[in-house]
Amino acid sequence: MRHNFLDRYAGLDSPLHALEARTKLVGFLALILGVLWIPAGSNLIFFAYFLLTAVLMGISQIPLGYIVGRTLAILPFVVLAGLAAPWGDHFEGVRLVAIVLRSILSLLFLILLTSTTAFAELLRGLRKLGCPKILVLNLGFLYRYLFVLTEEVLRMRQARDCRRVGRAPALAEFKLLGAMLGTLLVRSFERAERMYQAMLSRGYDGDLRILAPRKFTWLDLGFLAGVTLFIVGVRP
Amino acid sequence: MPSSSSKSDRYAVRLTRLSYTYPDGTRALEGIDLDVGEGERVALVGPSGAGKSTLLLHLNGVLTGTGGVRVMGQLLEGADLREIRRHVGLVFQDPDDQLFCPTVLEDVAFGPLNMGFPAQEISSRVERVLADVGLNQSFRNRSSHHLSHGERKRVALASVLVMEPKILALDEPTSNLDPRNRRHLIDLVAALPITLLLATHDLEMVLALCPRTVVMDGGKIWAEGETGPILSDSALMEEHGLEVPLSLRRP
Repeated sequence: MRHNFLDRYAGLDSPLHALEARTKLVGFLALILGVLWIPAGSNLIFFAYFLLTAVLMGISQIPLGYIVGRTLAILPFVVLAGLAAPWGDHFEGVRLVAIVLRSILSLLFLILLTSTTAFAELLRGLRKLGCPKILVLNLGFLYRYLFVLTEEVLRMRQARDCRRVGRAPALAEFKLLGAMLGTLLVRSFERAERMYQAMLSRGYDGDLRILAPRKFTWLDLGFLAGVTLFIVGVRP
Repeated sequence: MPSSSSKSDRYAVRLTRLSYTYPDGTRALEGIDLDVGEGERVALVGPSGAGKSTLLLHLNGVLTGTGGVRVMGQLLEGADLREIRRHVGLVFQDPDDQLFCPTVLEDVAFGPLNMGFPAQEISSRVERVLADVGLNQSFRNRSSHHLSHGERKRVALASVLVMEPKILALDEPTSNLDPRNRRHLIDLVAALPITLLLATHDLEMVLALCPRTVVMDGGKIWAEGETGPILSDSALMEEHGLEVPLSLRRP
């Protein structure tokens, strides 16, 4: 089993991919803050931002279908969150549209960030930006072990299905599920112990050291300058 | 006395009366005495739960029992463990335990980074060691969960060899490997000029690699000596959950 969906397009070769992770983290975060800044009803500014995402998507060479698919997957939640927003006495369509548009733009920026940057690079960028090492380390473990655990669950399910015929009563099913979760917890705990031993064996002393990330180049400087100019240029 | 210190230097590993009890009360090792000479290749054989893995974890101070552990003439107690861990390379049985980084490159570079080697050297070491274990450089940026089990085993070995250890401790290196990958691993290890401790059930590999064998069971050493006579002793093998390898059985 593979989780290509995380790093599927991280290996493409575009100017956006060539940027350093730190640059992209800062740049896209700034753009998202800019998006939050757009007042409801300022159609021109919304349009400018959508135009920018279109240009960036074009540069990134990531298939449009992929981006649209991922956006659509999250859209229902966004609309729901928009409807659940504190509306006071009266509901305003313009504000709902603005919430949804802002969310879509933020999503698009996040998708652009995560699909042009390999997860490992993103982690290195976070660390270089001063994100606490324990957090970065744990995100790395999450990325690495998510699928080791998923496979373990699948194997357990297969083993269960091999030994049962038909459906057990709901309560028994529930008990079985509990037992499986318990087993998974114990196994994960033991694995964590062995991982820690493996880390110690290779000289881990509590300090996370990382390889030097990509070099900061003129391209990075240009990107950040462009982002700043854009945000300031189209401000409300 | 210079003569006695040079004598102890000849041992890569010296265990004296080593005992260890797990926190849950399981007696894993009981009074182990074992000397391994520099450059010697020794197999640890015995049934599951004999204490082989526990013993290996003592060689670099990940576990500390009672009794003495000397590595390269140095007593582990109070020693600089970082220095010891540089000399003792431990390869775990399950590569998923050993490869915990997002990419192969980071996993292989993890040890050298902790040792504080300069970036240039790390890069050249990673390149060399990947070639040594038979993986091309394109593996650098792949993540371990996209690799086959055999490839993961190779990366796990690479992540230890990259530190250029003096002592290599392998825990079941051939488990779950297909014959081709197993053969590759045996040839690779055979070519290393290194002190080797090999904990395994794969007795044919023991015959191929290790002139000396130690039989462990229940945390104790029951027999040790030349591999041939030990592995052909059918009473001894059966008593300790093993069997005489096919290639040693009389027709």
